[in-house]
Amino acid sequence: MAMLEVSHMEKRFGNTEVLKDISFSLEKGQSLAIIGSSGSGKTTLLRSLNFLETPDAGTITVDGQLLLDAAVRTKASDKEIRKKRLRFGLVFQNFNLFPQYTALENVMLASQLLAKERPDYRQNRREILEQIRTRGVELLTQVGLQDRLDNYPHQLSGGQQQRVAIARALALDPDILCFDEPTSALDPELTGEVLKVIRSLAERNMTMIIVTHEMAFARDVADQIIFMDGGVIVEQGPARQVIEHPVQERTRRFLSRYQGQS
Amino acid sequence: MKKFVALLLAVVMVAGMTACGAKKAASASDSDMAYVKEKGKLVVGITDFAPMDYQENGQWVGFDADMAKAFAESLGVECQFVEINWDTKAMELDSKNIDCVWNGMTLTNEVTSSMACSNAYCNNAQVIVVPADVAGQYADAESCKDLTFAVEAGSAGEAAVAELGYNYISVADQASALMEVSSGTSDAAVIDLLMAGAMIGEGTSYANLTHTAELTAEEYGVGFRKGSDLAAALNEFFAAAYADGSMAACAKTYGVQDALIAQ
Amino acid sequence: MFQTVLNALNQGFLLTLALFLVTLAGALPLGLLVSFGSMSRFRPLRYVMRTIVWIFRGSPLLLQLFIIFYVPGELDHNIWAFSSGRFWAAATAFILNYACYFSEIYRGGIESIPRGQDEAGLVLGMTKQQIFFKVKFMQLVRRIVPPISNEIITLVKDTSLANSIALAEVIWAGKKFMKSDGLVWPLFFTILYYLAFTGLLTLFFGWLEKKLSYYSV
Repeated sequence: MAMLEVSHMEKRFGNTEVLKDISFSLEKGQSLAIIGSSGSGKTTLLRSLNFLETPDAGTITVDGQLLLDAAVRTKASDKEIRKKRLRFGLVFQNFNLFPQYTALENVMLASQLLAKERPDYRQNRREILEQIRTRGVELLTQVGLQDRLDNYPHQLSGGQQQRVAIARALALDPDILCFDEPTSALDPELTGEVLKVIRSLAERNMTMIIVTHEMAFARDVADQIIFMDGGVIVEQGPARQVIEHPVQERTRRFLSRYQGQS
Repeated sequence: MKKFVALLLAVVMVAGMTACGAKKAASASDSDMAYVKEKGKLVVGITDFAPMDYQENGQWVGFDADMAKAFAESLGVECQFVEINWDTKAMELDSKNIDCVWNGMTLTNEVTSSMACSNAYCNNAQVIVVPADVAGQYADAESCKDLTFAVEAGSAGEAAVAELGYNYISVADQASALMEVSSGTSDAAVIDLLMAGAMIGEGTSYANLTHTAELTAEEYGVGFRKGSDLAAALNEFFAAAYADGSMAACAKTYGVQDALIAQ
Repeated sequence: MFQTVLNALNQGFLLTLALFLVTLAGALPLGLLVSFGSMSRFRPLRYVMRTIVWIFRGSPLLLQLFIIFYVPGELDHNIWAFSSGRFWAAATAFILNYACYFSEIYRGGIESIPRGQDEAGLVLGMTKQQIFFKVKFMQLVRRIVPPISNEIITLVKDTSLANSIALAEVIWAGKKFMKSDGLVWPLFFTILYYLAFTGLLTLFFGWLEKKLSYYSV
């Protein structure tokens, strides 16, 4: 069974149709790259999956559980939305780290807040917090920042900040981790370290959706690729095939323009 | 959270508006005396004004203060002194923050039209104050016409100078007017004779000042809220206190016996 | 005599200090509520709050003091007829006035925090309250300390306006000696109290700003 199934998703901003009849699925442990020019709707799609936007139509199913059916207009409670959100993680283009917290605190904060809702929190407070800390250190080690635990974001390079952001997203054990152009805000010499981390996640079979402009990276790391243009999915298929032998004329044009640029 | 805040704000605002907007049925017809007796104290609005009202060992004393205490006692209520700003005395009365103004208050038209006043009980005059070393040149009002005067805003002295058409500036109180003269920022001041007697000349901080010409003669009275029945009650009290000599005795204590008016 | 004056001024300054502290204790949190109101998505509330802010910022504090202290009584509803009524009337006027000033500073601060901070909190499953208090609050504090400290130092000096409704704060205490003893210097002497107090506050806010600069926003 697919880990994620999106079907017939639509989204309008005013009169502009940003997403038109978007359907795709993603298997557990696979990674999906979404490519396309800016304004093609790929970021809106990602934000919809993370409940930062509300689609006008369509459904989202994760692991067999229907998370969202836009046709059902009953307003979900904040608590339900929060719970559903946690199925997904999101890494932003601009990192959006919390500037007043250290790298480790950034990673631990959400877990600490969630732990307070556990019934046994008062009883086992010390152990729970210790576990969260251990996990935080482990995650930062995993992204290669074990000696940067107590640094504040402004003391870190862009690449390091983005790696903290990845660790922070991983801390809540999302089923699906989403990346919104994770290297677009970075200087070229810093993109490598971030891509390396994402690649290692793919090797560990993390289910991921990556919106990216790095075509070579998408080809090498992703299992599937979706090419979006004007709010529709123009082409989807195995990564290598979409990049190297695109079927659609629009995909070909996009890729050649891209290769011409880089 | 947001709804809660909105609700809280709404409640606070409505409460505020009703507090301000709701006007209790007019109590103008009610007896002011009954109101004072009911709350058990007479709140007397004063300023620091020797020898009428001033502090000694933390207690308010003076001719006015002592008479006010005696009057309150005759009503069977406590007497409480509250210092006020002289230029907002009418507002203090109207808003019931005080019940009377008993502080060597000159009975001007302005005062008698905004308050219910007692009979006059003390004579006073407005006098010109100048530095002692030039007092010889300014013995009468006419010789002072080119001077700049400092007067208390809203005082009888201000009215007197304005009447003469002299140049003047209004300051917060009579003490400030003296300070103006002393520091040379004004040439002369016009203040109450009774106050001048206590505050300038040898043995005071203003030994270099002296008073010369009297501009206007005037009388002191006590002011109550408009329409108050306490004014009549005070007149009766004054008459009795004058008759039995206690008022004169009190005046003598504070050196104002010559100014006392027969009741 | 010097001792007498000093005692009286100290007494007056205690009242100045009390008015200052009560105003801060009331206006700092109330300002936050007002700023929420003036940013509310519920339009009538937003308009009402912005009008209130305009009224209190757009008219003299002196006039607000007179209105708050005298108007209830003029309407035969004197709510200040208790022994420390003048103090609480002054405190009410100061709290309302300063809450409105603070609310605009808060609003500017809150609106200047990037939307990405909210979104990062949301995708991490935080509630709106958690996002405000755990994520944005410290960033807000950092941004508003300089403008708020300006207002607070202005407040120290503004407390002297309360002597217009005969509250016996330090300037009133100084002026009294002009009337009773013909002494002028006690009034001028009060400046030392203000300078000492604002000096301490300036040092404190300097320290606080430095303390908060361990991160940059």
